[in-house]
Amino acid sequence: MIWKFTGAWSLMFMLASVAAPPCSAAVGGLPTKTAHTDISPEWERLREKLFQSRPIEVTDSRVQLIVPLRAAYGASVPVKIVSRLPQTEALYVKRLYLLVDKNPSMLAAVLELTPEVGQADFETRLRVDEYSHVRVISELSNGELHMDSRYVKTSGGCSAPPNRGAAHLIGKTVLKVPDVVTMNQLTPADVTVVHPNDTGFELNNVSVMFIPPHFVRSIKVSYADRKVFDAELDFSVSENPTFRFNFVPHGAGVLKAEVEDSKDARFVGTLDVR
Amino acid sequence: MANNSSLPGPTSSGSPRLAKPMRSAVFSLCMALLVAMPAVAALPAAYSPMVVQPTGAPARAEFDLTAALARAHSEGRRLYVYLGASDCPFCRRYEAFLDANATELKPHFANYLIVDLRSSLSVNADKLHIRVGNRSLPYAEFQRSIGDERARQLVYPSVWLFDASLKPLMQMPAGTGTFQTVPEQLEILRLEQ
Repeated sequence: MIWKFTGAWSLMFMLASVAAPPCSAAVGGLPTKTAHTDISPEWERLREKLFQSRPIEVTDSRVQLIVPLRAAYGASVPVKIVSRLPQTEALYVKRLYLLVDKNPSMLAAVLELTPEVGQADFETRLRVDEYSHVRVISELSNGELHMDSRYVKTSGGCSAPPNRGAAHLIGKTVLKVPDVVTMNQLTPADVTVVHPNDTGFELNNVSVMFIPPHFVRSIKVSYADRKVFDAELDFSVSENPTFRFNFVPHGAGVLKAEVEDSKDARFVGTLDVR
Repeated sequence: MANNSSLPGPTSSGSPRLAKPMRSAVFSLCMALLVAMPAVAALPAAYSPMVVQPTGAPARAEFDLTAALARAHSEGRRLYVYLGASDCPFCRRYEAFLDANATELKPHFANYLIVDLRSSLSVNADKLHIRVGNRSLPYAEFQRSIGDERARQLVYPSVWLFDASLKPLMQMPAGTGTFQTVPEQLEILRLEQ
């Protein structure tokens, strides 16, 4: 069994687990800035690095983030990005930045998009380390920046990741589309990479050693050799990274996902679409 | 599958980053937690919980919700189902929180029939069964049958909110750590998502 501990509770949890089997942890007083639109010092610092003094419109008129206030598990918080404009050559969502303010590594994902996605809506799952804002910043092709954010409360415990017993499956990349695909129409698709996405903060209680980080760094999705989107990722993405996205097939072709992880391993998944 | 252990506050990294004074403080806290565990493992009597003991030991621990659902239906109340373990420090913590704030919180529980399922940490997901009428399901299947996302892992303590027909009122988080303050407990009772 491999347990994950984070924060000041790590040591406490380890010691407590000597006396009793593992169970859930997390309590404390309420942080002050908990409104969905509040900012944090972490965000202010990263904002300056990523966007300097560029204005960011904070409304959900262009992009909306849907995240539950409390997710079932902090290690797998469902996140949905809804874009409020269609992807056209004239104006489209060029990049989406997905951030978790209080995570050890704030920047969870940067998605670089093309008009091929048709509609820049995405769904994925993130690790949220503690009470935190989750943010999406949408960068349009005209340079505008738009942000939406949600405050998320998580607590957790420990468990055994399923990938540990199936190392041979790591990297398996699966693409899915509906049974019937209509050409030239917006088509939803899923890409999933079987991968532990180890953060480096997980403890193997048998060896009492922290498991080295090992996570998916990038997923590049193309259709018929045309780029749909590229995702630069971090370990804030949950294990078995999954993205639900859209694309518009203009004829039969191959939907392809090229994956690279932090140990420079490369994996490819393909799906014929007719 | 790995869950986060979290705490609202400034700490967010692994234990190697903890400074020595912090380690000492954490160690002391841990010891205090273990030593200060109350002898009785149960929801506070002030909330008049309906206690459900498991049956079927040692092969399984089956909790029958049939009577609780019937009572909730007849009283026109919702169900606040709490699964605690006798040897779980974090269950004691939540129970102590409820006890300490009973005067303030109890009126807000008026619409809920509180059900106290008394388990132990040795009861894992395979052993734990939930019975309603003549149907008994192991934990994961039960969770899937009600559309609860917590099917992957059994965490102690756990809380479910149901109406009297066993329809979940809200997706609840694993553990109780996100509602161990009065304002957050009230958020839960108001079904704020």
